[in-house]
Amino acid sequence: MPEIILKNVAKRFGKFVAVDNLNLNIPSNSFITLLGPSGCGKTTTLRMIAGLETPTEGQISIDGKVVFDADQGVNLPPNKRDVGFLFQNYALWPHMTVYQNIAFGLENLKWDKKRIQERVKELLVMLRIEQFEKRYPSELSGGQQQRVAIARTLAPGPKVLFMDEPLSNLDAKLRMEMRTELKRLHRDTDSTFVYVTHDQLEAMTLSTKVCIMETGVLQQYAPPLEMYNNPANLFVADFMGNPTMNFIDGRIAANGEVSFGGMKARFEPQDGKALGERDVVVGVRPEYIHIDEDGVQEATVYSTLPSGMETTVKLDVKGTSLTAVVFGDVDYPVDAKVKISFHKAAVLFDKADGKNIARGRLTLI
Amino acid sequence: MQQTIDRSIRMNRVKGRMRAWFSKPANVILLIFLVTLVVLTLYPLITMLLETVTIHVGREARAAKQTAGDFSFYHFQRLFATAENDYSWIQFYQPFLNTLIVSLASSLIAILFGGVVAFLVTRTNLKYKKFVSAVFTFPYIMPSWTLALFWETFFKNVNIGLKTSNGIMAAVFGIYMPEWFVYGAFPIALVLGLHYAPFAYILIGGILRNMDANLEEAATILKTSRPRIIWRITLPIVKPAMLSTFLLVFASSMSAYSVPVFLGSPVRYYVLSTKMKSLMDSYPGQAYIIVGVMILFGVAILLLNQKVTNSRKQFTTVTGKSGQISKINLGKANRPVAIILVVILLLVAVVPLVTFAMESIIIKAGDYSLSNMTLDFWIGTNLSERLDQGDSTGILLNPKVWNALGYSLGLAVTCALVAGTCGILVGYGVAKRRGSKLASWVNSLSFFPYLMPSLAFGAIYLAMSSKIPWLRGFLLLGLVGSVKYLPFASRSGVNAMLQLSGEIEEAAVITGVPWWKRMLRVIFPIQKSSFLSGYLLPMVSCMRELSLFVLLVPTSNTILTTMLMQYSEKGWAQFGNAINLLIIIVVLLVNYIVNKLTGASIDKGVGG
Repeated sequence: MPEIILKNVAKRFGKFVAVDNLNLNIPSNSFITLLGPSGCGKTTTLRMIAGLETPTEGQISIDGKVVFDADQGVNLPPNKRDVGFLFQNYALWPHMTVYQNIAFGLENLKWDKKRIQERVKELLVMLRIEQFEKRYPSELSGGQQQRVAIARTLAPGPKVLFMDEPLSNLDAKLRMEMRTELKRLHRDTDSTFVYVTHDQLEAMTLSTKVCIMETGVLQQYAPPLEMYNNPANLFVADFMGNPTMNFIDGRIAANGEVSFGGMKARFEPQDGKALGERDVVVGVRPEYIHIDEDGVQEATVYSTLPSGMETTVKLDVKGTSLTAVVFGDVDYPVDAKVKISFHKAAVLFDKADGKNIARGRLTLI
Repeated sequence: MQQTIDRSIRMNRVKGRMRAWFSKPANVILLIFLVTLVVLTLYPLITMLLETVTIHVGREARAAKQTAGDFSFYHFQRLFATAENDYSWIQFYQPFLNTLIVSLASSLIAILFGGVVAFLVTRTNLKYKKFVSAVFTFPYIMPSWTLALFWETFFKNVNIGLKTSNGIMAAVFGIYMPEWFVYGAFPIALVLGLHYAPFAYILIGGILRNMDANLEEAATILKTSRPRIIWRITLPIVKPAMLSTFLLVFASSMSAYSVPVFLGSPVRYYVLSTKMKSLMDSYPGQAYIIVGVMILFGVAILLLNQKVTNSRKQFTTVTGKSGQISKINLGKANRPVAIILVVILLLVAVVPLVTFAMESIIIKAGDYSLSNMTLDFWIGTNLSERLDQGDSTGILLNPKVWNALGYSLGLAVTCALVAGTCGILVGYGVAKRRGSKLASWVNSLSFFPYLMPSLAFGAIYLAMSSKIPWLRGFLLLGLVGSVKYLPFASRSGVNAMLQLSGEIEEAAVITGVPWWKRMLRVIFPIQKSSFLSGYLLPMVSCMRELSLFVLLVPTSNTILTTMLMQYSEKGWAQFGNAINLLIIIVVLLVNYIVNKLTGASIDKGVGG
């Protein structure tokens, strides 16, 4: 049950900083997602932990063993780190059959032939690819290749499994299916998963904890729902959730009254802390904007996007545009007048540095 | 009544379909090329085959005791089954065996040398990579006989070969190399191997460079040792490229003429190509049979190549996150390996040039003292008063040389323009009608000239031109060159066109841009550098071509390369070396200028 600890890890390519001073504690048995837009350093981080990339600074330990330490010159090669790695493009060896691909790692471990055969069979059954045993990778579909890659990675039974956007080359339906399987796999194999993705939905649905990064800097490291409800800053708030959170510039007065986008509201922070007077950005999740008769604020429907299960409604309030999500299939005519109110919680961000000031209840007055 | 209406409707439909078919430029282009290529490749081939069963005027008719023009299998019987005086053995089987040995050895040398260097450059942290990479393609750009001539001038001595004079090794260092080292199978295979090593370097290096690094990393993660990764993952993946290289080098070596002429003929070591040339004058029928054998070999190799590259173990086209290749650290071995490599490259690419320069300024062969040096062979006048042989002026003042240079350049530019443009058109047609029978025919036909050994190709055109009185001189040479180099151009043309999505052209079609304008303003600019490589390769190859033209030139003084051969045969070493240097400099200069101006480079087009 290995635990992975990163201390002050940094990676620079010349002047370009890919990862900056990263501290991360990955508990054993967790499913951690490294999330962020492309070029944020998440893949580099993963590759550094696996040993495929050498950090410029810092220390990495896996299962209590230091595998990299810049100051002491420790750098264990990837094959000594006891990890599995699933590549984005699967990296199946084109000249080997499915069976050979899966068995290759076991041959390296000098397993005897019979044991290898049994293990490969077991994996073929587990991933439902028995019938492809003798095929070459080029003769498989993307989803099948993906399964072979997973089987190959799992074969030696690694306690730590790294995955670099493993689902990004699959179509939407298959991706959904594989997500379910990965989550089960995590439980069944009893190992630590570190997963890289730029898809926030994948991070939300799969992980026990999400590490969100931007331009090489860690933004927030928290369980997905906590991150969703209480994002550390504007970047995180914007990245998590689809449709994205509404952001409205405003100002909070000393008495806790917020004026934003032509509206006025009372803000009651959850922790009761006094906030003082300052410029803020008000963040409201679309599903917390309710459209009903009891609403206080009048709004105009700009457009309605029904998707069956839910409906996204774009609203206009005195020149400020808001997005609301209504459960079920409702269709408002364009330019219809409706009434809205805010429910549950909103988050206030500091206008100056974008940091989360407080989460609390926002009541329109 | 009803029937006539039906018929007219059917006629209209057929007419409509025809019009639709011909309104697509790709179809018209393919049709034109199909007809032209059939005429230019199949017709000469058939002509040549007929020559093998026809008795020719002169010695042949006398020897066969038949009348000229008769149909006869005499040549076959004579060449393949004459035990008398070991005739068949000497004229065919021995050269055939020699060809196999030399081609096999040179392919292995090329793959070993080119492959190892490709691996070092792409997969390790070798020092001086830039230099190695830049100089490595030199031997391919330079004429193949350059190295052969260098080898001979460097190692020859009075004990062996023509026993005329001492080379640098004997004269300066007093070391007399044995004959097998200087002439025959060993140096021929080595020189050809070194000449074609860039082939292997570019083909294998290209795959190593584009190979997904994740494939090796996946093995590393699964606890595979470095040597095992190379053996089990890297090598199998480059295997198709290696086999391809092997077959291409084999085919090229087999048809090479100038190298075995320089390094084999002085000791009567013959391969098929040199044998064919020597038979051509007196027994053309037998010579054409040898040509046929060489072509058969070429076709067999192509078929084999296709089989090799079309296996189940194809590469998946998904590319990984490249640029993250972890390079092997050579550690302490780095500097020695790099230095050895640089020295070899200097020996192969730079020293020959220096040697030619030296040899072109010494008066008496074998004496390298300063007092024995002169620039007369370059810029001297009234040389006949001082020399007992050779021209009376240095080559730079000799109008014959300038005429030949002009002719060579003109020929190279013509062939490049014709072959390059046709290559683009073929590429366009093949890419547009991808998958159709017509396209695959044209594609194969346009590659066919590659399989024909240059000398054989020249011989075939010689046979053909004897029947067509107006096909002479520049026209003939230009035609032969254009057809022979079409494969290079059509290869890069097809590749470039396949990379281009059809929508790009369709966007222009929608707005009503005419076809020629689409080609000039849309397609050409996008794939400019690939297309220009398609022009550059024929140009450079043509500039340094000898074997293709040697049978066809009106006089030996027509182009520089045949002039060089003539001088070399006459033993006018200094003039020959000077002209050789001139050719190399012109070729390198052309390559450099085109590369600087357009970004096109030889290595984009090589790869047969």
